[in-house]
Amino acid sequence: MWRWLFGRLARAAGFAWLITSLVFIVSRQLPGGPDQLAVADLSESGRLGAAAQAAGSQQVVRLAVRRRLGLELPVFYVTRAGGQWQWHGTANQYHHWAVAVLHGDLGRSYRDGQPVGTLLREALRFTLPLAASAAGLAAGLALGLGLYLARRPGSVGARLLGGLLNGLQVTPLFLLALGLLLLLANPEFLNLLPAAGQAPAASSGGHLVVYWLGRAALPLLSLVLTVLPELTLPLVANLRHEATTGYATTARAKGLPVGQMLRRHALPNALLPLLTTLTDLLPALVAGTVVVEVLFALPGSGRLLAEAAAAHDYPLVVAGVLLTALARLLGLLLADMLNFLIDPRLRPSA
Amino acid sequence: MPPRLFLLRTRPAARLALGWLLLLVIVGALAPWLPLPYAPTTPDLLQVAASPATSSGHYLGTDSLGRDVLAGLVAGARRLVLLTLPAVALAILLGTLAGAAAGFWGNRRLRLPLAAIGWALAATWWGLRLPGVAFLCGLLGISAALTLLTWRAARHPTGHRRYTCALPLDGMVLGIITLLGSVPRLILLVALAAGPPLATPQLLALLALLAWPEAARLVRGQMHWVRAQPFMEAAQASGLPLSRIWWRHALPHACRPLLAFGPLSLAGLVGLESALAFLGIGQGPDVVSWGSQLASVRHDTTAWWVAVFPGLALFLTLLALQKLAKLASSAVHK
Amino acid sequence: MKYFWLGSLLSLLVSACSAPPVKQASSPVTIRWSRDPGTLDPLALSNPSALDAANLLHVALLSIDYQANAYAPALAQALPQIRSLGDSLTALDYELRSAASWDDGQPVLATDVDFTLKLLNCPGLPNEANRAQYGFIQEVRLDPANPRRFTLICRGRGEDITIASGDFPVLPESVLDPAHTLRYLSLAKLQAWPATQAPAPAVAALVQRYQQANLAREPSHLPGCGPYRLAAWETNHQLRFQRKTKWWADKLRPAPQVLQARPQELVFTVLPDDAAAALALRRHEVDVYPQVPARIFQQLQASTKAQAEFAFYSQPSYDILTAGFNTRRPALRDKRTRQALSYLFDPAGLSAATQLGQGRRTVGLLPPGSPFYNDSLPLPTLAPDRAVALLRQAGWQRRADGHWWQPGATSPLALNVRYRTEEATFATTALQFQTAAARVGIAVTLLPAESSALTNLLQTGDFDVYIRLIKGSPFSFNFATFLHSSTIGSGNITGFSTPLTDRLLLAIPTEGDARRKRLLLRRLQAVLRDEMPLLPLFYLPTRLVVNRRLQHVIPSGLKPGYALTALSWPAAANSN
Repeated sequence: MWRWLFGRLARAAGFAWLITSLVFIVSRQLPGGPDQLAVADLSESGRLGAAAQAAGSQQVVRLAVRRRLGLELPVFYVTRAGGQWQWHGTANQYHHWAVAVLHGDLGRSYRDGQPVGTLLREALRFTLPLAASAAGLAAGLALGLGLYLARRPGSVGARLLGGLLNGLQVTPLFLLALGLLLLLANPEFLNLLPAAGQAPAASSGGHLVVYWLGRAALPLLSLVLTVLPELTLPLVANLRHEATTGYATTARAKGLPVGQMLRRHALPNALLPLLTTLTDLLPALVAGTVVVEVLFALPGSGRLLAEAAAAHDYPLVVAGVLLTALARLLGLLLADMLNFLIDPRLRPSA
Repeated sequence: MPPRLFLLRTRPAARLALGWLLLLVIVGALAPWLPLPYAPTTPDLLQVAASPATSSGHYLGTDSLGRDVLAGLVAGARRLVLLTLPAVALAILLGTLAGAAAGFWGNRRLRLPLAAIGWALAATWWGLRLPGVAFLCGLLGISAALTLLTWRAARHPTGHRRYTCALPLDGMVLGIITLLGSVPRLILLVALAAGPPLATPQLLALLALLAWPEAARLVRGQMHWVRAQPFMEAAQASGLPLSRIWWRHALPHACRPLLAFGPLSLAGLVGLESALAFLGIGQGPDVVSWGSQLASVRHDTTAWWVAVFPGLALFLTLLALQKLAKLASSAVHK
Repeated sequence: MKYFWLGSLLSLLVSACSAPPVKQASSPVTIRWSRDPGTLDPLALSNPSALDAANLLHVALLSIDYQANAYAPALAQALPQIRSLGDSLTALDYELRSAASWDDGQPVLATDVDFTLKLLNCPGLPNEANRAQYGFIQEVRLDPANPRRFTLICRGRGEDITIASGDFPVLPESVLDPAHTLRYLSLAKLQAWPATQAPAPAVAALVQRYQQANLAREPSHLPGCGPYRLAAWETNHQLRFQRKTKWWADKLRPAPQVLQARPQELVFTVLPDDAAAALALRRHEVDVYPQVPARIFQQLQASTKAQAEFAFYSQPSYDILTAGFNTRRPALRDKRTRQALSYLFDPAGLSAATQLGQGRRTVGLLPPGSPFYNDSLPLPTLAPDRAVALLRQAGWQRRADGHWWQPGATSPLALNVRYRTEEATFATTALQFQTAAARVGIAVTLLPAESSALTNLLQTGDFDVYIRLIKGSPFSFNFATFLHSSTIGSGNITGFSTPLTDRLLLAIPTEGDARRKRLLLRRLQAVLRDEMPLLPLFYLPTRLVVNRRLQHVIPSGLKPGYALTALSWPAAANSN
């Protein structure tokens, strides 16, 4: 088992590295790099004289930006130009980046020169607790709801709940979050929860905790409600299927109540898709959820990475990709391990 | 087939579901010829974000760009039938095949002749026009020799595993899934937006590409479970070829979670379309879909009718598909 | 423990439901920002939030008086004396205010201005945009007799040079260069420093000190002579600025409008979403909401409760919604074709649909109220009949399939329209044009693009028609940046130029006589209207909603849309 785990981990790390390298190289081929953005900002500001607007002087600006950010080097060890392959040795952007990352340095943001590690850590302070608690809550709720819905398939309550879940499934996250915001934090309707207010000035620790709990309530609710149908509906379908199988009928025939039969016998078998979907959510823990963060003005990693992508802030984007890829691979690994724990016959392939 | 028809006849809900889907298909097919008072993309500049109650001639109101919501619903139905449903089908097909193969064969069980790898390497070398003709010739020679050896070894009863190597199928599929899942969508879209505008087949491919990993993961997980079932051992013991076991016995069981998942993934894809429309990538505002209609409520949050009607249509479609999926699963198991 | 949580929850609910607290004169003024400034490095200010913040921390020689919508002396004693040196050079004589001092009491001197300009041109610092922007200042001549007097020698002539010459924040020399090493390098030498050559030792040391100071995040390492200091910064959430208790301009009598700093504390809350921002305003978490979108403005105005709580301002900005034509395309080379297409836009309808009818229509690139406005030209209107007639005149023939063909052409007249994605106004305009064009038989494809990609596409000429904002200003008439032949490929996107317009464009900024200037500008408007490289549709309004109890609200058509430091809460005695 340990050897298997170690092997999988090593392979995951290798994969993550490969993906990140790919994104590193591709992102630097995209049009509209930071140098072009600098020129675009310059044109947009509208405060320039004709001299500064001339094409020649814009070229100078672009060159200077590229030089300062180290972008004038070739991207990779080999590049192809004019139908010819060229070898550049170690004087290339990829090599510099790879060496720095192996030394634990993820680079600095193009926009404000801050270390990427610090920026990500600060954003994750908000995103991790929020996304983790949302995933935990949603999973718990999905289990409860799934068992309830599977036990009474035809009842009015189950039908209503099923309809509600389907309704939630067709509601895009931004619509749901916007609706909650306008409903629960609106002076004209129910003004229950704070949306984006300031932290109480000079406050004690207790107050601050309460403040953040209040602020987290709406984003948490939006996130839980969005993932809930995706987790619950397949689980219900699976539970109902398991309830029709032979072993379930046997268990029922032995006099086991429906609820116990579902919990003890059907659930472990029906849990696999839920686990798969749940571990899918793991990357969102680090990549954040842009929509919720924008709407509720939370300084999380989703906004950080989206803004970085829009501004072509490659060091930040590449670090984000590395982190997300790692989380996703860990999620896959975790899913396989959990499957094994639930059903030891499913020894994962090495 | 009689049991299925019987089910259809006895259940009014199933008939309703089928009726709704039929209606969708008909409306979608006839959309350009339906007698609607407004075109879906013509803005009514005098009635922007007009509610159904106050506007004249717009039965379901207009959105924040002045487009008629009813005409948009019809155009969206056409798009759903022509683009989204095929994309869902394609994504599920792709996801099922990839996930089932990865889950079944894992990293060790599928063996490829070494010669094939040699040929593939040579083809890549040639395709990229890499320098070194001598190396390419060497590669070709080695591949030819390996092909010969494999062919000769295959004539021995025990030699068919010689000169082969394992294809890490599971690892490859997981790698692609992870790659698609970790690249920020914005980067992907910026890359795409830089190119020429996407035609419908390309958009279909893009949507399918973004949506298949979920199906693949589900099927892969289920396939692990299927492989551990007693009937698989029985099938292997009976000496059936692996590919036949996979196709005839494992795949049907591994697909079961898809019956619940498929309809949901339609909703997911419409949501993705709405996200794309929100980011304005690929299609302009002259291409109306339910997703882009849902997204346009952002410009004016009081215009509830902009979101409610497409949302309702999507909800009904989802329910109808779920009903049919349930019907199909009960028909399969009875 | 259980009771603690219950109690906390209750107190939370009570506090959320209770009435907004009464604001004291010393209460902070809270302002909505749509994005985080990202960096407060005075050399790398790249967005409106960062510019707002820099204006609180630093003072420039001149700054905008929002009451008069004109530049007024700030750190300078008065507007500079302008002298012409030959054909192409201008000398600007400045004198700094004698009261102006840094936080440690040291006076602000001409050497500080000299140092700042060198910093703006120093290789190796993130100042590339500044180098392009202030590269026209060639030399700083210090007055040996008066340490507060200096002369800027500038390339070029005209009014916009005066304004641009005083537009940068002045930074203290004593913090970054206590040994005065940069004084021995001339500005011209720094500007012309070859990229291949290693930087001078003094420059290298300065660059290192600058980077170590981490000014992007820690502006306090380079205290400016502005009225505020940064008290707290939570990225993507909130910035707090505190008024300095002792600021040099407090002693000035009479206090100039541009040097007023009334709020004791300014809080900027970063709220990217407009609906959430409107909600925060209604919950009194935000007192000032600038640049309000039309729909949200309308919704707020429609509510009687909001009417009682907030004051609403709307006035024309200097941003013009413009459609432009790629004159390099063979189909659009004939001005009659461009004129025909201009009759397919509906400025009146678009203003009604997107701007609540508050868009100010115009015949050219000047606002209708301007003394230089050419009122003899008719306003552009939607007129498909005239478009058809003009297309015929331009040699297009309508075939049986309804499309327009040039004799001998392989394809009919068909256009694509490029614009930025996120703006609903652009999308509506594009849709309206598409509909009107389809009615006369022209196929139009809409190609929205993300903003950074769009700039690139437009500059490389990959479009037929664009829709975008042209940012004007009340200070100068420098249209050469987007119409002169020398800026084709960068600022001049349409690729249009004629010898006549080139001559007019260069003559207008330097013309001193108002009557002749009027003639030149009227001529330019008429020529542009005839040649139709671009069609100005209307001036966008800028909308502002503030808490009704705030005093000294000075709305303005200039960014950020109001005078930030003039705002104040009423004194406690006056409040009811």
